[in-house]
Amino acid sequence: MLEAKNLSKTYSSDGLDYVALKQVDLMVNRGDCIAIVGKSGSGKSTLMHLLACLDTPSSGEVIVEGSDTSKLSERSKNGLRNEKFGFVFQQFFLNGRDTVFENVVLPMRIRGVSGPQLAAEAGEAIAAVGLTDKAMKKAKDLSGGEKQRVCIARALVGKPQVIFADEPTGNLDSATGASVEDMLFKLNRENGITLVIVTHDEDLAGKCGRVVEMKDGYIVSEKVKEAAAV
Amino acid sequence: MRTWDLIKVANRNLFRNKLRTFLTVMAIFVGSFTLTMTNGLGDGMRDYVESQVKNIEGDRVIMVRKKVERPVGGPRAGTPAEYKGDVGPEGGSDFDPNSILMTLPQMEAAVKEIDGVKSITPRYNIEGEYISIDGGKKYQLELGMLSEGITAKTEAGGPLSGDGQIVIPIGLARAMNSNISELIGKPAAIGYKLADGTMKTISLEIVGVATKGFMTNYSSFVSGGTARQIHEDQRPNGRTDSFIAFTLQLNSNDPAIISNAKSKLSAAGYEGDTIADNDKRTYDAIGIFKTGMNLFAFVALLAASFGIINTLVIAVLERTKEIGLQKALGMGRGKIFAIFSLESVLIGFWGALAGSLGGISAGVIANRVLLSVYASSFEGFNLFAFKPLSIAFVMLLVCGIAFAAGVMPAIRASRLNPIESLRYE
Repeated sequence: MLEAKNLSKTYSSDGLDYVALKQVDLMVNRGDCIAIVGKSGSGKSTLMHLLACLDTPSSGEVIVEGSDTSKLSERSKNGLRNEKFGFVFQQFFLNGRDTVFENVVLPMRIRGVSGPQLAAEAGEAIAAVGLTDKAMKKAKDLSGGEKQRVCIARALVGKPQVIFADEPTGNLDSATGASVEDMLFKLNRENGITLVIVTHDEDLAGKCGRVVEMKDGYIVSEKVKEAAAV
Repeated sequence: MRTWDLIKVANRNLFRNKLRTFLTVMAIFVGSFTLTMTNGLGDGMRDYVESQVKNIEGDRVIMVRKKVERPVGGPRAGTPAEYKGDVGPEGGSDFDPNSILMTLPQMEAAVKEIDGVKSITPRYNIEGEYISIDGGKKYQLELGMLSEGITAKTEAGGPLSGDGQIVIPIGLARAMNSNISELIGKPAAIGYKLADGTMKTISLEIVGVATKGFMTNYSSFVSGGTARQIHEDQRPNGRTDSFIAFTLQLNSNDPAIISNAKSKLSAAGYEGDTIADNDKRTYDAIGIFKTGMNLFAFVALLAASFGIINTLVIAVLERTKEIGLQKALGMGRGKIFAIFSLESVLIGFWGALAGSLGGISAGVIANRVLLSVYASSFEGFNLFAFKPLSIAFVMLLVCGIAFAAGVMPAIRASRLNPIESLRYE
């Protein structure tokens, strides 16, 4: 599904180079639930951004379904993110003045879907996170857990193959965090959506099938849990 | 994203910060309002002048004067004209370079190379004293001449068709008979003074009552032949007939024939203008005036466009995260650019709409007020005229300026890096 080959990323500022990612190789298979862990500055977010085609590598390749993304145009990468990927961020990035519905349908609108199809797919995604009765509420009036569920619905609405979650429970208390986690794992188990979770929460990482630990831009260890997918 | 979705998003974004949007729109409103007014003023003047000059018609005549070096004190003061040497007895030569006046043989010489000449009429200077009908009240008479080929539009009756006729202004006609059509065909007694000061009376048939206009408000007109008769009566004995201008009538209104005639006149030392040339000069003057006025409105719009830039630059900063999210979710640069550009154009559109409507309302009110004050001296004059095409032009122009103002912020937004934008605090 996703593959990083000899991936490096160097940031330059004021003439100083900072190597955030050093020759990383990683294979993400369809249906995987993979946690990327590490301290801040370890390169875990950079790796996720590169895998999600949000950023371009300094060297190496990101291969999505067998094709090298460095050869794709900006437009194709936009299309790829829009149709195959979903995103959940720690900070939600919801538009508080808009309704839950409007927030959820954003990827569909970007894709150019409208009318009954838009309403149907949005309804499905909102139902999947249990917010049907709040679909017409303003996003700012929701609790933190509900907000993150809206984000999951937004990530889910386009029927993506991969959901990238960057510290999805970072802003939530442990009880609501747990319910958000359950929701993500359920999508992985039942819908076969590949999950790539960036976190420094060890409990969350422990529930994932694979845990990739990063340090100083390198992958230092990878643990595979035998019965994760059950 | 679909175009309609983009417009909806752009409009919703504008309404997120109502006060800021309102203030920016107000700045555009002021500029659009001014532009609508200045445009309306120019159009109003043009309409009025057009309604006045259109009453004198003639599409195959050229008014001819001699090209001369301007006399001392004229527009080129300080360059007195040199005396060209005696060219023989006055009127004896085909062309007298020392005078702006022309004799009849000189006029004939001037046009002899021109094809399609139908007639030439010297500009006879004639002065009337009075007019009366049926032995009734005598009215003062301003007398003028219409050369062959030139007609005045009439409210009643028709144009001059020959000698012995007169077309009178509508004010005079109403004074003589409230039903002006009853005057048509009646003989009028015309009094004018001879060279020795004695009064001569002739009878002319009233054939028409002229429509109002610059030249036809006060003057009565006779044909070239009648004018010549009066002119000869009024000319002191022994003085050579010479004139400041003459009218050349051609057989056709074909532009090629007219321009050929003009160039031949020019080669012979004359300058000729058609009625259309004269009208165009007037319209051009109004056009220049209008452009000058519009420049002031442009300055206001220019200032307002900085308001748009400012508003959008702030909006880009405020919405950095939102833009980052949209880009992460696959929205392309073009669409981001389109949203901000549309916001800019919408600000322009609302401002232009309000400005146009405000300008039209103000103009209509101003017209009413001015009408009540100046109605007697400028009948039919609307200071402001609003034409759909002019309004559409203002709207388009303002939207165009707004778009241009939005380009820089929109490009900024479209170039934001999604990762940095999502991290932006």
